[in-house]
Formats: sequence, structure tokens, C-alpha cells
Amino acid sequence: MKRVSNVTMRKRLVTVFLCAIVIFGIIDFRLGYVQFVIGDVLMERAKESWSRDITFEPERGKILDKNGEVLAENVTAPTVMVVPRQIQEPQKVAEHFADILDITVEKAYQEITQNERIVRFKEGRKLSEEQVEAIRTLGLDGVYIAEDSKRHYPNGTYLSHVLGFTGIDNQGLMGLELFYDDQLMGEVGSLSYFSDAKGHRMPEIADVYEEPKDGDNLKLTIDSRVQTIIERELDLAETKYNPDGALAIAVDPDTGGILGMSSRPNFHPEHYQDVDPDTYNRNLPVWSTYEPGSTFKIITLAAALEEGVVDLEEDEFTDNGAIDVGGATLHCWKSGGHGHQTYLEVVQNSCNPGFVTLGEKLGEKKLFSYINNFGFGEKTGIDLQGEGKGILFNPEQVGPVELATTAFGQGVSVTPIQQVMAVSAAINGGYLYQPYLAEEWTNPVSDKTVEKTDPILKERVISEQTSSEIRKALESVVAKGTGRGAYVEGYRVGGKTGTAQKVGEDGKYMSNNHIVSFIGFAPADDPEIVVYLAIDNPKDTVQFGGVVAAPIVGNVIGDSLRALGVEPRKDGLEKEYQWPDQPLVEVPDLRGLTRKDLQQYLVNLSIEASGSGDVIVDQAPEPGEKIEQGGEVRLYFGDDDPNKND
Amino acid sequence: MFWEMGCFLLKARKRTYQAPDLLLTIAILSLLAIGAIMVYSASAIWADYKFNDSFYFAKRQLLFAGVGIVCMFFIMNIPYLTWQKYAKPILIICFILLIAVLIPGIGMVRGGARSWIGVGAFSIQPAEFMKLGLIIYLSTFLAANQKYITSFKKGFVPSMLLVFVAFGLIMLQPDLGTGMVLVLTCVVMIFVAGAKISHFVGLGIVGLIGFLGLIISAPYRINRITAFLNPWEDPLGNGFQIIQSLYAIGPGGLMGMGLGQSLQKFFYLPEPHNDFIFAILAEELGFIGGTFVLLLFLLLLWRGIRVSLAAPDTFGSLLGLGIIGMISIQVMINISVVIGLIPVTGITLPFLSYGGSSLTLILCSIGIVLNISRYAKL
Repeated sequence: MKRVSNVTMRKRLVTVFLCAIVIFGIIDFRLGYVQFVIGDVLMERAKESWSRDITFEPERGKILDKNGEVLAENVTAPTVMVVPRQIQEPQKVAEHFADILDITVEKAYQEITQNERIVRFKEGRKLSEEQVEAIRTLGLDGVYIAEDSKRHYPNGTYLSHVLGFTGIDNQGLMGLELFYDDQLMGEVGSLSYFSDAKGHRMPEIADVYEEPKDGDNLKLTIDSRVQTIIERELDLAETKYNPDGALAIAVDPDTGGILGMSSRPNFHPEHYQDVDPDTYNRNLPVWSTYEPGSTFKIITLAAALEEGVVDLEEDEFTDNGAIDVGGATLHCWKSGGHGHQTYLEVVQNSCNPGFVTLGEKLGEKKLFSYINNFGFGEKTGIDLQGEGKGILFNPEQVGPVELATTAFGQGVSVTPIQQVMAVSAAINGGYLYQPYLAEEWTNPVSDKTVEKTDPILKERVISEQTSSEIRKALESVVAKGTGRGAYVEGYRVGGKTGTAQKVGEDGKYMSNNHIVSFIGFAPADDPEIVVYLAIDNPKDTVQFGGVVAAPIVGNVIGDSLRALGVEPRKDGLEKEYQWPDQPLVEVPDLRGLTRKDLQQYLVNLSIEASGSGDVIVDQAPEPGEKIEQGGEVRLYFGDDDPNKND
Repeated sequence: MFWEMGCFLLKARKRTYQAPDLLLTIAILSLLAIGAIMVYSASAIWADYKFNDSFYFAKRQLLFAGVGIVCMFFIMNIPYLTWQKYAKPILIICFILLIAVLIPGIGMVRGGARSWIGVGAFSIQPAEFMKLGLIIYLSTFLAANQKYITSFKKGFVPSMLLVFVAFGLIMLQPDLGTGMVLVLTCVVMIFVAGAKISHFVGLGIVGLIGFLGLIISAPYRINRITAFLNPWEDPLGNGFQIIQSLYAIGPGGLMGMGLGQSLQKFFYLPEPHNDFIFAILAEELGFIGGTFVLLLFLLLLWRGIRVSLAAPDTFGSLLGLGIIGMISIQVMINISVVIGLIPVTGITLPFLSYGGSSLTLILCSIGIVLNISRYAKL
């Protein structure tokens, strides 16, 4: 049975065998690759496909003000959750539910037999303790009790734009709730079990419980005392002027921390659906951009002083009511002009032609480099969404007219927060800070600090010397110039008015429709607070910042400093009175006097007396303080003469 | 056939006649045992869900394996030259069955292909028979015409033509997996028989064109290919089986999750006892179990090729090679699919997959190889 030509066949059989060994080798290699190299990845994904999670929501971190006042918190309520595939006898479970909850048997049956992994239903939310106890005692398969929580804002519309709000699943949708969503949210916990592909729990495999990690509490730079004052003043302004909008910001100039921020129209965070989305999407203090008007002159002033192109006391300027620049005539806001003035008076009078000459003295390069250094044209970096950048003239397009208008705040577009930060830098010694709201994160259980924000210094823009001159000049604006409405006795308020024209839909300035604003700070020797306020199109009034905005800022500053416990000052500039202003009366030292002595002192004050005895032992206000004519002085009578005890 | 059986029994004590190859037998019986255990493990959940009897598939697997082993021992004792004699009628019967299955009413549609004939558990797949029938006939033809094998006209073309007619009929069902096994097996046989390499190169080019044609004619095939390239692109559609298969194999690791501990068999991997049984094996027994099974298949191949090398005549060599080649190619394709090496084709893993009649048929084929081994000078 021998064959002739089997050499080829033998060779080829061996070839086939060797090829087969190679193929088996490749297959085994690939098997090893799948099981060892990508095995872990596959295992993770497979686990995901096997496991079914019942999630446990972490409690969202609270939002607190600087002093621990609660601004946003959670109200919790137990909720029943059903896993339909684990329900043994749906009819019975439905009957139990009908007994315990406010639901019919049919409805309950329908809910718990849905083709869903996990079912929650309205009637099963926010249960009472008795209901929870009743359901727990039944020990039904596939029925679970979970804590459901809802965001609650105890102060309603208060600070609404800054706080923002959360959605149905407690996810941050706006404001700080959105900006710090991850940290506030915490980590979801879960009870996971393995299930077969048909949704049935696999036997004999242990459940894995991962505890939820609650979100950290967020402490803000906001001081609710300041915020309350701002909200009150905006409400009053809204009632009085019926404006199209209004906004206010208060900042601590030494850190950049926001003390208060609000705007109108506002909304209730728990009912955000009830208002136009534009209302909550536009957080005006950081979103809106408009021509700043005269408040911008502070920047021009800072640049001119730092560069030494002007001496406020020595240099003089004559305003005829208009100035020619590159063939165009720019008018002063006061027709006829302010006449002959020193540059300090130019600032006090907010005289446009005067500032045009300052701009010309600086030149476009220097002026615009200061504008940039003060943070205009870019976002401030505040920890809120939706911040605007503003618009500056393109450097190539700046001609003499653009330079001139920019110098007094027209033709540029900036955000309120930019102005506040820039002015803070101008008066705090030249330090431009990044504004921020999140001061500190604390652990919700231990209350220990997790993270603390340090003020972020962006740039040193001017010297302390220049800054001090600006403070002096701006203090005189309030004491003697256009900002008199903001004067607060004892607190050395400095500030600057602004009346900005709005550009209408036709691209032209609208008539009799202005944004009136005032930016103020106090005390001028060591500023503790900077307040900016703008009112968009106030009705039934002269639309001047000095008339509408300045008094409101004065109220905010005065009340805030008193609330913050800032010592009143005594060496400030005296307010210069114009009709119908009434000069204040200095309270005399009445301590140690007897009732009889009083007659000759108090011609223009009223008295509120308390205590028995004949001798005045104490008085409020203190001697030397100033109060309005006819104002009230409280006197405390006793028997002792305090001076005798020395 | 009965006559030869008698002759064999009478002149049984011939000197060249010996016991069948022991290692081959051991490989077969080990694979059968592992198969039975794995079919039970993989199918228990599914069987309990579908038939309320977790042993439903395991029992049937044992039954077919038992019948198969009996057949194997019977055929092991039929001199293989008998098949040479009946090669033509066997081929004709296979062709008739293969045409018959295409006729609606006779052929039954299962899984999208009209490939079954018969009633219930007693149904068969003519394509399975065709593979064996064609191997027998091709061995006969090539052995008889070996002097012409290097000739294109007289050797290469007629044998390839025959293969492609059979392939064409199988593709009408359509059953790409079985068709591929058939073509590849026959190509290996013709190659070993001594055909010119240049002819295969030409065939390769034609084959490539034909392959492209098949893809164009049935777009679902291209989906299978793209699914293979990135199964996660369509995890619930075309990529589903591959992903579920990898989800079984990956977690297996070195040692596996332990026998019976598969999670993927809980309805994640569809019909885990069929084509994808190797995935469950790799999940429960790990890389070690998977490699062990691969080694058993390699042992089977090795002994088969040795039998082929030592066979007393060309017909025996080619027949043995054809049968072992068919089984090995099917193993390679099936496992390559399961581990994501090639696109899904839909063929079972010999000895291990729940197979019914096809398991019996494979054991019959092995019986022939065992018989050849009795004449081989190993």
C-alpha cells in the first residue's frame, strides 16, 4: 500500500499542522488579553450591567452668610420607593398602600406594577412618621423608605440672583447653587444588588451599601445685615421711582469679598418657574453692561493723579459749557458750564470738559492702559455664572473724540461689578482684587473648615499716595459737590455720581431715559465698604445720579457701617449746605447738668427723659455728634454727679 | 456496508490492524465530558425559565452524546475504504437533502435561515451532512485523480467547482458559518493533495471578490463586521452578543469565577449553551480552563494529522485530514468569534455546544478517523 508521490503531501500536512498551532496560539493569546489586559475594564462594565442601584441622595450643603445666618437649607421628608420587579403580591401591597397613604387601591396597583426599575409616586412623598412606621412594620419585599429632601430658602426673594435655585432633583440650576453644584451636592450613596437580565434579584449575592456623603456647607462673604439694608433700600426705590430695573452691590474693599448684592426685578428661588426666565438668568450686577457715565471719571482721575499730569489744588480750568475736540463739540451736563474752577472743583462738579482735558493730558495710550489695568474689558472672575465683559474702544479706532468721551465715561460699556472692583482699587491703596462670594466651606458634621478662600490680589494699579488723593477728592464730592445726597454724618462718605445715557433700539441715545448711579465708600480715611447702586429709568424725578441714587447709597452706607459696628469719625469734611438743606446741630455736653440748667441749652432739640433724680448722668447721642434740627436727645437722670467720682 | 462489516469481522485478526489511537479517544471523551458539564452549567437557568426543568438541555446533550458514542464505536469498526466505495451515492443524497431543505414546507426556518429538515428533536441540518459527504467524495476524487492535481483543468477546477456548488446551496439558506467551514476544509484538502500554490492565489482573488459580493448582497453582514470592530457603538443591536460574551470572559480572569458561578448566563448572554458556550466556560473556569480546552482541541488535531500522515493510502490521508480539519476549523472560527477576534458567524463549538444531531454527526465522523488510525503505522 505504498504511495509514490507522498513527499509533497507530507510536507503540506506538516505545514497545515504548524499553521493550526499558530492560529491556536493567537486565539489563546487573545483569550489572555481579554481576561488579563482588558479584564478589569470589562469587569467594571459587566458589574454596571449586573448591578441595580437604589440611590440615597446626600444632603445638599447649606448656604450661610458670613455670620452663620442660613440663606439656603433643606427640608427633608421620607419617601416610599418601590422596585416593581421585587414585589411578590402587587394586589396586597396596593391594598396596604391604600390603607396607609392617601391613594386608592387601583392607583397604587397601577403605580407599583409599572415597567420601571424604581418607582416613586406623589402620594408616597413627604410621609409622616406614623406612615413610615406603618410601612416599615409590614416589611414588604421591594418597598423601601428613602429620605427625600427639598431646597428651602427661608428669606424668599432675598439674595435670589446670587443664591440661584435648584431643580427637581436638587441639582443646581442658577447662581451659587449652580456654580458650586458639585461641592454642595456631595456624593450619592447607593444600595446595590446584582440582578439578572430580567430584573430579578440574584440569590446568594450580598448587597453593597455605600453611604451618601453630604455636601459641604458654604459660608459666604455676604453679610446679611448689609444685604437686608440693600434689599430694603431697593424695595423702597422700586416703590418710589417705579424703575425699569435696579441693582446694588456692596463690597469690602480690603478683600474683594461681596458684602451684599441684589437687583430688581427679582424672584423667589422656590417659585422660579413663575417668572420670565430672563429675570433669573440675568443677574444684573454681573450680567448687565452699559455706559457707566460719570462714575467712570474716577478711573480717569486715578490715572491723571498717578501719572502726575494734574494737581487738584493748584491747576485750574475754565468751563464754558462745551469743549471742541477734533472738530466735534462736547457739551458739559450743565448748560453754560461751571466757569472757572480748580481741578478739585472739576471733580466735585463732575465737569465733563474738565475731564476731557485730563484725558488729553494723559493721552490715549496711558488712559487706556489704566482702564485695562483697572480690570475693564475682561471678566472680574467672580464666582457666578453669566458674567459680562463690557466693551471698550478698539485701540486702533481711538481718535481724539473717543479719547475725550471715554475720559468722562461715555462710549465705553462696563459691568457694575467691574466698576465696583475698579473703584475699590482706586480707594483702597491701589489693590485690584478679584471679587468673590464663597468665603469658607465647612464640613456639615464636624463643622470644621474644609476650605477657605483667601482674597485674590490681581494687580497693584496705583500708589497709596494717589489713592489717598482720590479718597480726599471723592469725599469732597459728597461734602461739597454733586454727591451731597450721600452724605452721612460721622462716616466720611466719599463717592461719585453717574448719569448714563442709554442707547435705544435705533442706535441713538434715548431722551429722558437714563441709568442713574452712585458709587460711594466710607469712611474716607480707611474705607470699610464700597457701595454701588444703579437705577434704570426712574420715573417722576429728575434723572440725576446725585438726586436719585446718592441718597440711597448714603442710607445703605450709613446703616451698614452702624450695623457693622464701625466707629464714627469726627475729622471729616463738613457738608456744605445749599437750600433746602438744613445744617445739623452739634449735641452739647449735658452731663452733670440739672433739670433747671437745661432750659438755656436746648432751643432746637427735643428731649426724651428717663430715670428719676435731678442730675443728668448720661446722654445719647454723645456730645459732639450731629443731629438734625429738632432731633431727639435722650437723657438719663440720676442722683449722682458723675464728675464727682473722679 | 453490512457485507463489509461481516468481512471485517471474519478477517479481523490481520497483522496491520490495531486498536484505535488512544490519545485521540481520550481527547474526544474529555471534550464530551467537559461539554456535558458546561451545557448543564450554562443552560440550567435558561432551561428552568423556559421549560421549568434545569436539566432540560443537559439531558438531551447526554442523550445525543450517548447515541453519538455508540455510533462512533460502530463506525470505528467499519473499514474506512467502504466510504470510498459509496462516496458518490452519499454525495448525491446530500445534494438532494440540501436542495430539499430550500423548499418551503420541507425545510424549516430557525434563526433566520431555512436550514432544518425533520420533526422536532429529530430534525437535521443537511448542510452538516453535506460537509461530511463532500469530504468523503473529495477524498475519493482527489485520491483517484492525484496525478492530475497539479493540472488546472483536470484537477483544480473540477474539485473547486464541486465545492462551490455545495457552498452556493448552503448560502441560499443562508448559513455563512457552515459554508465557510465547508470551503476552508475543502481548500485545505485540495492543498494537501498537492494542488499548485499559484492556483490558490488566483482562487484567493476570486474568493475576495465573491466575499465582497456576498456582503453587498446582504447588508446585515456588514453590520456584523462593523459590530465586531466596535461593539460598543451599538451595544443593544449588532454589538450585543460580542459585548455580552466579553462581559463573561473578561471577569473570568485566571482562575474563573468557579464552576456554576457565571453571572452572564442569567439571561445576559442569549442562549449561553449554544454558540457562546466557550464564553461561559472562560467565565467560570478562567484562562486556565479555556487554555485547557484549547489544548485538548490541539491534541485532537495533532493526533488527527498523525493518523493522516501514517494512513496507508491517499484516500485515508485525505479523509482523516478532512474530518479533523473540519472540526478544527469550526473550533477556530467559533472561539475566535466568542473572544471577539472575528465577526459573528453563527457556528457551534464541536463537542461543547448544545448540539443535538450535529453532535452525533461529529462523533460519527470521528469514528471514521478512529478507524483509519487502526490501519495507520503510528
